[in-house]
Amino acid sequence: MGTISLEHGDRLYWLGRYAERVFTTLKSLERLYDKVIDRDPSHYIKYLECFGLTDIFGDCDSFMHDFIYDKNNSYSVAYSLERAYDNGIVLREEISTEALSFIQIAMDKLDSSHNSDKSLCVSMLPIEDTLFGFWGCIHDYVYDEEIKDIILCGKSVERLELYIRLKYRTELINLEFERLCDILRRIPKNTPYRYNTEQLSILVEIIGGVGCKGKESEALSALARLFEH
Amino acid sequence: MKTEIRTAAQGAVPTAPSADAAEINELLRRYGVKFGIYKNGQFKEQLFPFDPIPRIIEAEDFKAIEKGLIQRVDALNRFLFDIYHEKNIIHDGIVPEDFVYISSGYLPQCEGLTPPENIYSHISGIDLVQGKDGVWYILEDNLRIPSGASYPLIARELTRATSPATFSGGAIIDNRNYSKLLKETMDFVNRGGINAILTPGRYNAAYFEHSYLAELTGATLVQNDELFVEDNMLWHKTYSGGKTRIGALYRRISDEYLDPLTFEPSSLIGIPNLMEAYRSGNVAIINTPGNGVADDKGIYYFVPKMIEYYLGEKPILHNAPTYLPFYKDDLEYVLGNFEKLVIKDVAEAGGYGVVFGRDLSEEKLEEFRNTLIKEPRRFIAQEVIDFLDLPIIEDGGQVMRKADLRAFVLSGEKTKVWASGLTRFSRNPDSFVVNSSQGGDFKDTWVLSR
Repeated sequence: MGTISLEHGDRLYWLGRYAERVFTTLKSLERLYDKVIDRDPSHYIKYLECFGLTDIFGDCDSFMHDFIYDKNNSYSVAYSLERAYDNGIVLREEISTEALSFIQIAMDKLDSSHNSDKSLCVSMLPIEDTLFGFWGCIHDYVYDEEIKDIILCGKSVERLELYIRLKYRTELINLEFERLCDILRRIPKNTPYRYNTEQLSILVEIIGGVGCKGKESEALSALARLFEH
Repeated sequence: MKTEIRTAAQGAVPTAPSADAAEINELLRRYGVKFGIYKNGQFKEQLFPFDPIPRIIEAEDFKAIEKGLIQRVDALNRFLFDIYHEKNIIHDGIVPEDFVYISSGYLPQCEGLTPPENIYSHISGIDLVQGKDGVWYILEDNLRIPSGASYPLIARELTRATSPATFSGGAIIDNRNYSKLLKETMDFVNRGGINAILTPGRYNAAYFEHSYLAELTGATLVQNDELFVEDNMLWHKTYSGGKTRIGALYRRISDEYLDPLTFEPSSLIGIPNLMEAYRSGNVAIINTPGNGVADDKGIYYFVPKMIEYYLGEKPILHNAPTYLPFYKDDLEYVLGNFEKLVIKDVAEAGGYGVVFGRDLSEEKLEEFRNTLIKEPRRFIAQEVIDFLDLPIIEDGGQVMRKADLRAFVLSGEKTKVWASGLTRFSRNPDSFVVNSSQGGDFKDTWVLSR
């Protein structure tokens, strides 16, 4: 096993989080887009409410464009992708040049999709494919399980958070939570990603018991404090 | 898609990869081969543009260069040991002491220190140019933290992928052993523990190189705030609160910032007590602090004399004809022949402080003459070598441009020359300055196997 510094540990975790944020945001926007095609065109306001935001866009098109391309919007795909790159660029020797290149490709594809005349889902597909390539590289090239677990831990926490926020189906939330628990069991003691037992118990009680419905804030709070020591 | 690799005809030597520049540069971008620069106070990452037409060095030619470089670096290593110990070369009147002690690269704090295995310059970047007469001249020795090896290294990897047929005949020596040579060098001097590469961080111009070499050699890429010295040993702080010992530190920060308790006290990127750990023989520092005294532009003049002094051999490679205004005769010559010479400030690097006499106005010339008379030790003057121009791609066609070669010499158990190198050129047709920090681009360097 190599030696992981505090900073690199942090970067690995946030690389996982931001890479996943890009992916789940895209998937969620596609889900939303599907709803507004033939149903409520103002449905995007509900999406904003999940993040405690108010509508400053006026219409779904502007909202979509902003949430995909605006690098100054910390909820956008472009913003998260840049943060994934910022974290990844200092992790070359841990994650490999190959894996890092997929983040660069995703950024390029996002840029070039700007002028695409294809639908949202079709034009975002190459970015999602590229992210699958990135995760494939992480699984394939990173031999140090501890490093891999930190990235996957970030990935899973992010997905769970977004699923809870965006009120995904209980079964999906459960599946992701089980996955997170699996990863957490592998994280060694005395490391920053060792779970806080109390917070994990709260999550088990909520997610594993009655489900998140109505208890989203409680679950999100426990998730945010999962690594507090 | 093509999968067939047509073997190059027997004896045929390719002159360029079959892929075009755009294709290879696109891959370089994809793999993050970028170069950081500060412009108007803003950090920008930009591509280090690659020209696909390589510099080609014939096998025979390389053999001579290789021999000459090994000789030169061995002599420089002997010089460094001597300067920080007995100083015989000064006592014997070969190098005037003024040139040693006034040099900003001479560090009194390193007096009496002996690095592991007596190696001072583990990685030497020697800059050469080939004159139109075919003769190779040494322009500069870089024995502190020479950078640039990673660029031809990754460019070759990508060129082979895009143009397999070009390499199929085996006529070009594969240069991808650089990481192996570097690892061997680190392992040889390692005092127990891991190998680490110390980077100032992402915003350093050569960050790509630091991270890429760490990836290829399996060394841990570290920053100063992750390191500490305890019990006179260097440790890497791990995220679990533990520590891992470092046996060899390939540092990519300058001497003066390495240890605030020994060198520059205001350094925020150094490691307190690193020099104590080094003095105790518990960690190798690559390259050894204090090497600057040997790659000083003033000392350069004496390197051929060093070779004769330490090795008892005639220098194989030539220096560019150089004058030291410190000597009265040379000063007179320089003052009378300004327009033929290039004047270099010995305290500057990276292509800065270089003035071509022919480019100066009468007024500036006079000003410079006075400075030279006042501070003769500060400058050296060299004949302008008429470099061999190399073809580059420009607007779809080929044009000729000035180019130099940075050869890399690695000193471990043996001194070895990497069969490649960084060829830098300027896109500006009137410029002789090829440094990447001044807008130079790069080429791969192909050494032929036969």
